[in-house]
Amino acid sequence: MRKILARIAMALEGVTIAFDAIRGNKVRAALTISGVAVGVFVVVAMAAAVHGIRESFQKDLDEFGATTFQINRRDPSSPCNGPDDCPDRKNPPVTLDELHAIQALPEVAFAVARIGNQTTMIYRDHQLKGVGYDAYTTDWIRTDRADISPGRSFTEGENQSAAQVVIVNDTLKSQLFGDSDPIGKELTMEGKPFTVIGVFHTKAGFLKTLSGTGPDNPRAIVPMMTAWRHLSVYKRGINVAVMPQPSVTRDEAMDAVTATLRSRRGIKPGAKNSFYLVGEDRILDLFNQFFGTIFLVGLTLSGVGLLVGGVGVVAIMMISVTERTREIGVRKALGATAGIILWQFLVEAATLTTLGAGIGLIIGAILAELVNIYTPIPASIPIEAIVVSLIAAAGTGILFGMMPAARAARMDPVEALRHE
Amino acid sequence: MSPHTDDVALSTTAERAAVVQAAGAQPDKDWVIVTRGLKREYDMGGEIVRALRGVDLAIRRNEYVAIMGPSGSGKSTFMNLIGCLDTPNAGEYWLSGELVSQKNDDELARVRNKEIGFVFQTFNLLPRASALHNVELPLVYAGIGSAERKERAMEALTKVQLDNRATHRPNELSGGQRQRVAIARALVNRPSILLADEPTGNLDSTTSEEIMKVFENLAETGQTVIMVTHEPDIAAHARRVVVLRDGLIASDERKENFTSKLGL
Repeated sequence: MRKILARIAMALEGVTIAFDAIRGNKVRAALTISGVAVGVFVVVAMAAAVHGIRESFQKDLDEFGATTFQINRRDPSSPCNGPDDCPDRKNPPVTLDELHAIQALPEVAFAVARIGNQTTMIYRDHQLKGVGYDAYTTDWIRTDRADISPGRSFTEGENQSAAQVVIVNDTLKSQLFGDSDPIGKELTMEGKPFTVIGVFHTKAGFLKTLSGTGPDNPRAIVPMMTAWRHLSVYKRGINVAVMPQPSVTRDEAMDAVTATLRSRRGIKPGAKNSFYLVGEDRILDLFNQFFGTIFLVGLTLSGVGLLVGGVGVVAIMMISVTERTREIGVRKALGATAGIILWQFLVEAATLTTLGAGIGLIIGAILAELVNIYTPIPASIPIEAIVVSLIAAAGTGILFGMMPAARAARMDPVEALRHE
Repeated sequence: MSPHTDDVALSTTAERAAVVQAAGAQPDKDWVIVTRGLKREYDMGGEIVRALRGVDLAIRRNEYVAIMGPSGSGKSTFMNLIGCLDTPNAGEYWLSGELVSQKNDDELARVRNKEIGFVFQTFNLLPRASALHNVELPLVYAGIGSAERKERAMEALTKVQLDNRATHRPNELSGGQRQRVAIARALVNRPSILLADEPTGNLDSTTSEEIMKVFENLAETGQTVIMVTHEPDIAAHARRVVVLRDGLIASDERKENFTSKLGL
């Protein structure tokens, strides 16, 4: 117990001494610290960017619900290199009949079909080219994307009768209609009139911003059957978002959908599916794979930074030990054991590097905040990155401080006291 | 004088001879220091320097002893051995009835912490620490809690009349004050011996007298004091003077005889 107390007291003393040493040799300490600071800064800035993008990505995906999965015609993650490369090019599209069959499954709460395209939209003398729109089935209103005011969404009746109605987002509204109320006004798509029945609000998201579907971009929503009949959409490009019942796991719902589609399409047992089910985790996996590589590069860079910092620690600590030879002698004369001296200098080294890490964290945080404000990347520093970099920095200090600390600990008290 | 009086401040020559000659035997605890045939040699690049060639010395509790000798006499080496900063090549060293000449480095550190209070010529205070913190240091190594440490350090500073300078750093104190802080630090862990190495070597004569007063008061209140010095007038404050020459004890006399010899 006494020993532990002495160790803690000595640790505190070590921290105080470290700060004294830093104050005494500002330039030297700054050089030592900066190596570690740069290493930590790099890894923290990268972690912040990756973490922020991932969180926003997850949010984008969650708009359809966390357990939602998509039914796609083709594997979205394997790009084709030539016509013979991908057999899934021949997969049939998901049909509306199949959608109805899936909607009827007891495991499924609802399913929304979507096709996207872009076209020119005209209102009086305002003309906007390349405005993206989504054609949805009626249930889209049950997803988190739906947030309409003023106005309303379309009804199932309007969908079935392919009514020429459209819902615009805030940006499209202000670009076409200015400050006036758009409800009831008619805009023109592909030469056909569409009545505006509502305004929806696009939520911000990193992916959306990158793909041009963020809140700053004009966008519209029309009923599925309307697009089918009146607009030139790529019908084979239909995909379906399936929301399982709350009592059902995603895997169970996926199994039910797979069984239904296979039996409807007459796929023999053992043959491959002619469709792809993509869960959110799958998309996140792809994301992690990609950014994991980037992160590994950053980790290597910061490892180099820590190494440089570590070498600096050896240098400053060696000088510190030599300068304080007499002090070490006095401490030994007063009863400090070799272990206590070792501990004191290790704490000092760890304090130096941890301080460096702290500075790196602060600079990284400032940079993350700037990135947040001035770029679409929603950078945010994960707690794990803070903890890991502090521990890694302290570890570096202890590792590289070992040699000078051992030198101090081994000093002969008689020699040390005689030192001028 | 009877050898069995309550006053153990002075040991008789016969008593000392008896305890020193009983090789291997554990001395009574009242014998703070007993060395038997203490030898220390240094290998200086192939040449063996015999700094101590067999020193027999016994010091009883409450004694106030000065160790003198010209440079090269081995008095520094002897002080390092007495202070457990160094270990002998041969011979026995018993400190407070405990054989310390066989102990390892960590055990010696503990003995120094518990049994010995050092006072150095150059004070050796930690420059960036307050007087109070300097005095606390031995208690830190003894593993004593913060509250008790502060209290005892303050007590020790009061003993040397520096309680009103507790928060001052060494560079804000005069030489005499610094040495008094060092004495407080030496005493704070209640050591068996106060071991002073040229304690007035860096002080003017007035301040030297002041420090000698402190030592005298300590000796009077029962503190064993051993002082290494080459100045006869400083040694004259001690009640017993041991003179080393060529690594051996040349003389070991009570003050009365010594001062009369020097004509003081």
